Amino acid sequence: MTPSVPTIVIGIIIILGMPILLHIILSSSRTYTIPPTVLLVGPSNSGKTSLQTLFERGSSDTETHTSQVSQSVELNASTDSATKKSFRNHDATDGTYTKFLFVDTPGHGKLRNSAMAKLNSTEKLQAVVFMVDAAALGEPEILAPTAAYLYDVLLFVQKRATTSAKTKAAIPIMIAANKMDLFTALPSTLVKSNLEAELTRIRASKSKGLLDSGVGTDEIGSEEQDSWLGEYGSAKFTFSQLREFDVEVEVVPGNVTGDGPGAEKWWWWIAQRI
Amino acid sequence: MLDSFEILTTSGVVVWSRTYSAINPSIINNFIADTFIEEKGGFAAVADSKSAANNLPYKSDQHTLKWTLVKELGVIFVAVYRSLLHLSWVDKLVDNIKTIFVKLYGEQLLKPHTTLVECGAFDEYFDQQVQELDQTTAKGASSASAAPLEHNTVPTIIGDDPLDQPGLTYRGRALNGSNEPASPELAPATTPNGSRPATPSNNHLLVAKAGPVAKMSRRARKSKSVASAPVSSGDEAPSLKKGKKTAKKGRKWDADGYADEDDDVQLDYSANPNSDSEVEVRSAALEEVDSDTWGTRSKGKFVLNDLKDEVHEILASEAEKKTTTKSQPKSGLFGTGVNAISGLFHNIVGGKTLTKEDLDSAMKGMEEHLLKKNVAREAAVRLCEGIEKELLGVKTGNFESINARIQAAMEASLTKMLTPTSSLDLLREIDAITAPSVTSLRKARPYVMSIVGVNGVGKSTNLSKICFFLLQNKYKVLIAAGDTFRSGAVEQLAVHVRNLKELTAREGGHVELYQKGYGKDAATVAKDAVTHAAQEGFDVVLIDTAGRRHNDQRLMSSLEKFAKFAQPDKILMVGEALVGTDSVAQARNFNAAFGAVRTLDGFIISKCDTVGDMVGTLVSLVHATNVPVLFVGVGQHYSDLRNFSVKWAVEKLLSSN
Ligand SMILES: Nc1nc2c(ncn2[C@@H]2O[C@H](COP(=O)(O)OP(=O)(O)OP(=O)(O)O)[C@@H](O)[C@H]2O)c(=O)[nH]1
Ligand SMILES: [Mg+2]
Repeated sequence: MTPSVPTIVIGIIIILGMPILLHIILSSSRTYTIPPTVLLVGPSNSGKTSLQTLFERGSSDTETHTSQVSQSVELNASTDSATKKSFRNHDATDGTYTKFLFVDTPGHGKLRNSAMAKLNSTEKLQAVVFMVDAAALGEPEILAPTAAYLYDVLLFVQKRATTSAKTKAAIPIMIAANKMDLFTALPSTLVKSNLEAELTRIRASKSKGLLDSGVGTDEIGSEEQDSWLGEYGSAKFTFSQLREFDVEVEVVPGNVTGDGPGAEKWWWWIAQRI
Repeated sequence: MLDSFEILTTSGVVVWSRTYSAINPSIINNFIADTFIEEKGGFAAVADSKSAANNLPYKSDQHTLKWTLVKELGVIFVAVYRSLLHLSWVDKLVDNIKTIFVKLYGEQLLKPHTTLVECGAFDEYFDQQVQELDQTTAKGASSASAAPLEHNTVPTIIGDDPLDQPGLTYRGRALNGSNEPASPELAPATTPNGSRPATPSNNHLLVAKAGPVAKMSRRARKSKSVASAPVSSGDEAPSLKKGKKTAKKGRKWDADGYADEDDDVQLDYSANPNSDSEVEVRSAALEEVDSDTWGTRSKGKFVLNDLKDEVHEILASEAEKKTTTKSQPKSGLFGTGVNAISGLFHNIVGGKTLTKEDLDSAMKGMEEHLLKKNVAREAAVRLCEGIEKELLGVKTGNFESINARIQAAMEASLTKMLTPTSSLDLLREIDAITAPSVTSLRKARPYVMSIVGVNGVGKSTNLSKICFFLLQNKYKVLIAAGDTFRSGAVEQLAVHVRNLKELTAREGGHVELYQKGYGKDAATVAKDAVTHAAQEGFDVVLIDTAGRRHNDQRLMSSLEKFAKFAQPDKILMVGEALVGTDSVAQARNFNAAFGAVRTLDGFIISKCDTVGDMVGTLVSLVHATNVPVLFVGVGQHYSDLRNFSVKWAVEKLLSSN
């Protein structure tokens, strides 16, 4: 029996089409299952892991130590429930909730590139929380590396906003000034101005600094303008300069443990952006 | 006694802890940073789930930390105690706790998207272990005190105590701390100090109220328990059991989980003077009933199976598992054939669980590759071993081959190794010293930088390159001729200074040479140069030093004095990209030459332009010393100095040609 031509053609189409079909099904189902993500970055000992456990458990008595790996937790936020401004919403029954992933990253200098890689590769990244220890930010030994890390994060987000297609919207950044319960903590206005001043200095010294190994001499000119944080040529850096790139930066004070403004404001900031 | 015992995840969350006396959290933070992140104790030490006895104990000022980890689960077990105490049983404790905890709660640690581990019931297991192991070394420390049991017997409600359950409800679903099958019923319990509430969610530990047995004579009791011994001895771990203990079946009950040695009332009815640190409440009459059941109602009293038995069962079965997996025979010819085919298939499609055989050949290839890139054998072996241990038992991702997986792991490993703990912004650092902020209360002074290395690696050249960079940024630089040894060295430096002056005069650079000729003590010259610079208002002092063989004892030992006299802010060592196997020893000796309190701050790798992709030397140097590479020299001109980029180096190292 000789098979008819249509049978062969249909057979071939099925055989060739199957992988493509499968791929389409798989890839489309994946985008549906990935929840929006909020990334938590910042230097070591600023209280990132503490905040994550606070949001997950509703209580802040969990001890934490230096993190070595990222950790994500699933949380639910609402913008229309009665308890929308509180992360202690586990028992809430009203309102609509959005599920999202809250991802903690290690802050240690040697592990920083894992956080930066997360920044680069996370799908549906909706917001970045950069946590700083407001009680330690008065010391130059803490301020300098904190600002250096923030510089990298801001520059990355700025570059992404300028180069990427429209689908990847600019990512809003909240600078969470933590440990406001301590009397040594700087007020958020000072946190902001100290960071801006230090970022100005870093920006200046980067522009005068040595080239990185691997950067060819022919690339120098084009690099310069792209890797300038904020308004090109401005003498002073301010966070508001990033608005030009649609990147919103806000400093919000709070604390995980002790008495103070608490973490509610941070939660509300996040809830509005997912 | 222990100060603290913590069980924490690699993500930094403490899932269970017991504190006897509060310790500074930074002790454990430093332990984590030094051992796991910066790998100061050596790399291979960390990569395996070894016994605590084989892991190097971590010592802080006053404390010793014994630890072990389970890599697959990302969980670390740490015991902290004062170094003055030599607690030899802690190793055993850490190991046993690991085994028990993993057995009971291991699965929970694998759950994604959560940091919660419900292990409230673990308190009892921990107490049991501490009492059992601590006792073996502290025999007869406290004398047997046979307090009347009735006085300490308090009926306690167990099972609904809210203490350890901080609002663990999740949208209607209550996350109860209890994970155990036993029912949280009301039951009479004996607590040694009844004033405190019993630990929540521990339900199978309840012991019968002491019956008439407690009032029996010592001898009568002894004979009774001896008689009943054979019934219970079968389910105790042989490895943990002392011969004499077989005679009695100790039931320990430490209800509140906070018992300290001193407020622990010792109840001993076994008449065995060696077991007196155990709290024993034993109703001999019930022996036969409870030895093989969880909870039984017997003669109107609620009885639960012994915790100790359960613990010993866990430990014994895990130990057994270990030996059986080790001696597992290889599957037959047919089995290996099928395995090979499915292995091939999985290698293409991914989803393969990596075995030692899979990795061995692939790792050999990776090692060869690294050696070809000029990485010293020692460093290559260490890197490969670390990766092999990391990947053993790991499942490859979809459509991921073994080699791709290894490549990815090596990239991560190299990146972590080469990334410095704190990145260097040299200009910022100089500014902080020469123009300190008002709040820091420090006096302005010149920034001092010195350069060391073996002969002929390009110390003076690289010093001049750094000088050129600083002059371009309008700093006032003083170059100190610290090589008072090799003839011609001072003149060579003078030529560099003259060139630099010419090159940067237009841009407003200012550079001078400080020299005192030959034969003088180099350390004194350096010190004088710094003083001179401070008086004359220089911003930076760059000190050249004599090149020396790293195995030249006399010259190497003078480096310590040099560091003490000149007090450099940065000591950089110049290493050649070309050096062969010697580089590791060189770096080690130089790093150790500055005395106990000072090490190198960074490397400058010279002549990188001459080696192409073979930049392996820098891996060898970092491997040997944990000191970061800061700059690389890429040519003959004063401007041919670059910041070291980790990404650039890793790409070169992994590129295949
Ligand atoms: N006083 C005070 N201490 C806090 C607060 N938040 C966190 N801490 C403490 O800060 C320390 C560090 O917190 P972690 O959450 O472990 O820090 P981290 O940012 O995760 O650090 P890495 O994991 O090393 O990056 C802990 O000892 C916390 O108890 C706060 O609001 N106030
Ligand atoms: Mg953390």
